[in-house]
Amino acid sequence: MVVPDLEEEEEEEEEEKEEEEKEEEESQAQETGSAWWRKWQIVNEYLWDPEKRMSLARTGQSWSLILVIYFFFYASLAAVVTLCMYTLFLTISPYMPTFTERVKPPGVMIRPFAHSLNFNFNVSEPDTWQHYVISLNGFLQGYNDSLQEEMNVDCPPGQYFIQDGDEDEDKKACQFKRSFLKNCSGLEDPTFGYSTGQPCILLKMNRIVGFRPEPGDPVKVSCKVQRGDENDIRSINYYPESASFDLRYYPYYGKLTHVNYTSPLVAMHFTDVVKNQAVPVQCQLKGKGIINDVINDRFVGRVIFTLNIET
Amino acid sequence: MVGGFSILLWIGAILCWIAYGIQYSNDKSSSLDSVYLGSVLALVVVLTGIFAYYQEAKSTNIMASFHQMIPQQALVIRDSEKKTVPADQLVVGDIVEIKGGDRIPADIRLLSAQGCKVDNSSLTGESEPQPRSCEFTHDNPLETKNISFFSTTCLEGTATGVVISTGDRTVIGQIASLASGVENSKTPIGLEIEHFVHIVAGVAVSIGVLFFVIAVSMKYRVLDSIVFLIGIIVANVPEGLLATVTVALSLTAKRMAKKNCLVKGLEAVETLGSTSIICSDKTGTLTQNRMTVAHLWFDNQVFVADTSEDHSNQVFDQSSATWASLSKIITLCNRAEFRPGQEGVPVMKKAVVGDASETALLKFSEVILGNVMEIRKRNRKVAEIPFNSTNKFQLSIHETDDPSDKRFLVVMKGAPERVLEKCSTIMVSGQEQPLDRSTAQTFHTAYMELGGLGERVLGFCHLYLPADEFPATYSFDVDAMNFPTSSFCFVGLLSMIDPPRSTVPDAVTKCRSAGIKIIMVTGDHPITAKAIAKSVGIISANSETVEDVAKRLNVAVEQVDKRDAKAAVVTGMELKDMSPAQLDELLANHSEIVFARTSPQQKLIIVEGCQRQDAIVAVTGDGVNDSPALKKADIGIAMGITGSDAAKSAADMVLLDDNFASIVTGVEEGRLIFDNLKKTIAYTLTKNIAELCPFLIYIIAGLPLPIGTITILFIDLGTDIIPSIALAYEKAERDIMNRKPRHKKKDRLVNKPLAVYSYLHIGLMQALGAFVVYFTVYAQQGFRPSALLNLRVEWEKGYVNDLEDSYGQEWTSYQRKYLEWTGYTAFFVGIMVQQIADLIIRKTRRNSIFQQGLFRNKVIWVGIASQVIIALILSCGLGSIVALNFTMLRPQYWFVAVPHAVLIWVYDEVRKLAIRLYPGSWWDKNMYY
Repeated sequence: MVVPDLEEEEEEEEEEKEEEEKEEEESQAQETGSAWWRKWQIVNEYLWDPEKRMSLARTGQSWSLILVIYFFFYASLAAVVTLCMYTLFLTISPYMPTFTERVKPPGVMIRPFAHSLNFNFNVSEPDTWQHYVISLNGFLQGYNDSLQEEMNVDCPPGQYFIQDGDEDEDKKACQFKRSFLKNCSGLEDPTFGYSTGQPCILLKMNRIVGFRPEPGDPVKVSCKVQRGDENDIRSINYYPESASFDLRYYPYYGKLTHVNYTSPLVAMHFTDVVKNQAVPVQCQLKGKGIINDVINDRFVGRVIFTLNIET
Repeated sequence: MVGGFSILLWIGAILCWIAYGIQYSNDKSSSLDSVYLGSVLALVVVLTGIFAYYQEAKSTNIMASFHQMIPQQALVIRDSEKKTVPADQLVVGDIVEIKGGDRIPADIRLLSAQGCKVDNSSLTGESEPQPRSCEFTHDNPLETKNISFFSTTCLEGTATGVVISTGDRTVIGQIASLASGVENSKTPIGLEIEHFVHIVAGVAVSIGVLFFVIAVSMKYRVLDSIVFLIGIIVANVPEGLLATVTVALSLTAKRMAKKNCLVKGLEAVETLGSTSIICSDKTGTLTQNRMTVAHLWFDNQVFVADTSEDHSNQVFDQSSATWASLSKIITLCNRAEFRPGQEGVPVMKKAVVGDASETALLKFSEVILGNVMEIRKRNRKVAEIPFNSTNKFQLSIHETDDPSDKRFLVVMKGAPERVLEKCSTIMVSGQEQPLDRSTAQTFHTAYMELGGLGERVLGFCHLYLPADEFPATYSFDVDAMNFPTSSFCFVGLLSMIDPPRSTVPDAVTKCRSAGIKIIMVTGDHPITAKAIAKSVGIISANSETVEDVAKRLNVAVEQVDKRDAKAAVVTGMELKDMSPAQLDELLANHSEIVFARTSPQQKLIIVEGCQRQDAIVAVTGDGVNDSPALKKADIGIAMGITGSDAAKSAADMVLLDDNFASIVTGVEEGRLIFDNLKKTIAYTLTKNIAELCPFLIYIIAGLPLPIGTITILFIDLGTDIIPSIALAYEKAERDIMNRKPRHKKKDRLVNKPLAVYSYLHIGLMQALGAFVVYFTVYAQQGFRPSALLNLRVEWEKGYVNDLEDSYGQEWTSYQRKYLEWTGYTAFFVGIMVQQIADLIIRKTRRNSIFQQGLFRNKVIWVGIASQVIIALILSCGLGSIVALNFTMLRPQYWFVAVPHAVLIWVYDEVRKLAIRLYPGSWWDKNMYY
């Protein structure tokens, strides 16, 4: 990118020189051609001078020398960088990230999610909520009971599912069945409650390799109205009923070895939320090692969304 | 605050505000980041502008003191009454009276004069007092004796004159207006910086526009493309550089002021370094501006007197009896006296009442014989005839100091030929011998020889009156001349000259070896001018003028091939008849030129002639007559002590000690600063690529942004400032006084090798090194390089709060943002570490660092320390301030770029080694900047 610009600059200098040299000729040339035409000719000659067989004031030989030198120079630079990157890859493990301080404490995300955290829909108009249902159905495909039973193991609840062994060994994953979500599983009510104005919202904690909640004290979810009347929500049903992420889903061993790992979920069933008004809801994680009040990051340990259900 | 980089930065700032406007119209809650950035950019422009102004103002302040003028009074006869009026109220036709010591209040034609002498040196450069009378002697007003000029001084005598012109219409006034009519052209360094700004601005604008187009055609939103454009501009413009250059120049200016070169405009600091021709005035610059005894002739021999500033080393033979007689005449036949009350003052510095020649003789004898006044007291003066222009001799009669000798001693001095006429004998080795034809011939040879040196020659003779004819009681009558005025005994000759300063010949030699041509331009006589030129080396010992060649070959002047003569002495009259082409030819063909008897306008013509040769011309001068040329010159150098106010205000530089040798120091400093500015600029330009590449990669490969615009500003205006100033303290690599001055159009400050090497070699290496740090940070945090490719869109979506990394971990938007800032900090540290290597390699352009000495320039280490400390403060101390986008960095990341820094150093050492081994090779031509 830089070379042509520099040469433009050189070009100008060249022009100046030429102009000086050809001062006498110029006075004659003024009658025949305009200044622009002459300039163009000079530039043209600079780009390709047929007499001296030079382009951009260099001969072909000179150009090839430059190209060869730069080729070798850049090739060796590339080699150096490749070496650096190779050393880098030698020092970092493909299974476990070297540091996790930037991704901790865990963030929280909800499903269904379509670019916005405002759930606006009209119960009587399926078009307004159909996409939530599709989104949830799609998301829960990986949690189908048959699939979970086939791929994953049923491990004992209430304790870490620790798998010793080498880093590069494949790890087993614990089952999280869709049916755990009961009314929000979409199995009984395929509209996840949206058709009745009782929407289900799934909450998912961001995966972090090696993250372990405090033993015996699983991370809990609790939702309340963020601003306004506490009673706008009235009642929420959590599935699983404990409203917590069971310890058996931790730790996470990374996507290379922990292939079939499925994030545990907590479903919130807003069964009796106030209709026809926006209700801001904040769902927070609670537990030791969880931070949910970072000012700058509104998705660490908490998530805020609004429900605006019209009837 | 406008022009060059400032314009680019203004554009950047305005683009920021436009970008915010677009954002705001789309989304009322958009962040104010771009407004801050725009304001920061505007602030940078304003601050650097104020800074440059402050620096300039500081150096101009020093000059303000020179402009104070004392109001002048004039004694005028109006209404038959003598009145004192301010000089500016004089009108044409006023009759004014002048006495010794007055400044002439206007141009006047003399109506009567009694022994009036004026000092025209400020006007014509002639140091000798000019007698004035009411006779019209020449067509040229400057030459005729009956006109005195405004602002010159009356030294002695009295005069009455009629005012013929006042104010701007006086000769001085015309010169002053000539000076103010001369336009100040741009300084060479100013042109170089402009050229450099053009290059950088060209690169910035073309890359900016190119990538704007690429971004738009890659379907980026226009808003994003504008943000890219801002980033590219900010990365390309070296924000801190102009301030750095100003500081570097003012450091040099300070250093030069310590060595008695006071520089008025900062940019003039460098001009002296690129000077290829010095047009020097003679009087007061090359010479001491006082008559001094240079040669003596007695006993048929020429003796050389010491003409150095303190006369301390008089080595001629003082044992001869002739010298005893001669010294007695010198002491006694002299009316000059030291002013009282100067006991502690060295002889040469004592103030004297008397004219220049008598002063010279008085000081000469005082130094050799000791207390002259005491000798005069012992040889009581009984009568005297003072010097006048008709007699051309001075005579006095004394009693002798030998009590047993009752004779009177008559001593006489004057124009040699008039003195010789009155002599019948000549003293040789203390014995009187008859003056025959052959001794007269030796006298004439000596007289011509000394005269040919441009010296003023005086003859000395004496006569002891017989005691029987002139008893002690004899009453001498100087009007009746009742004593003999012939048959004297001729004793010797003394010649005087305004001698060159003792430091000048050495300085001239140094200028010569530095490839600087020195031309003497003076209002003085050609013979004197040539003599001084020879004695200081402006005309070297073995070179001849056309006239000399003609004399040697014994042919007519016209037959001599002008190219045989290296030297030329040209008078104002000859110059008047020359066409510009002839002058060009003269200047091109002769390397040693003396212009004599030149007028102020002709000085201007000479300077213009030199400038036509593409030379950078320095002019030295002290008189008002020099001021137009001083102004026209690329750098005008005025004398601080003897210089007139007009000269000082027209000049760009003032020599506080009036010493020509200070110019050499100035040249050296100027050349050094040019070299060092090259290093500073190369240092500063290098990191531009490292700052630019992230944006280009960001646009093309879609990586999360490696470095932010604010971070770039912290490099340009933070870590890099002190190191780039430190380069101004670097010592010269080789003897810079042994190479030719740079060619105005060929040896640019920023040339192609410099730009290519900084951008495409070191800059690129630096960018790669910084990218390695960036990739390391991201990879260790979970994003391996392969995952980063084209991640940009997802990465920047604020609503994606579970973005997966290479390990399956999920990141919220703010966590990614924080990681991005960590990346900025890492990239910043990467550049900073490699800039340390860059700083070290820029210490030299050709020599190995080990030849130059790694620790000789301590300021460099202060610079490196400042870099590290600023980076530490930014990363650790200010890491908590969100708007600055800095975060804490793990200690090991500070060392990731170290191997690359070492590589840069090694590569540059290899480059320098190849340059030293193969001078003139392709490598040398393309890699030496």
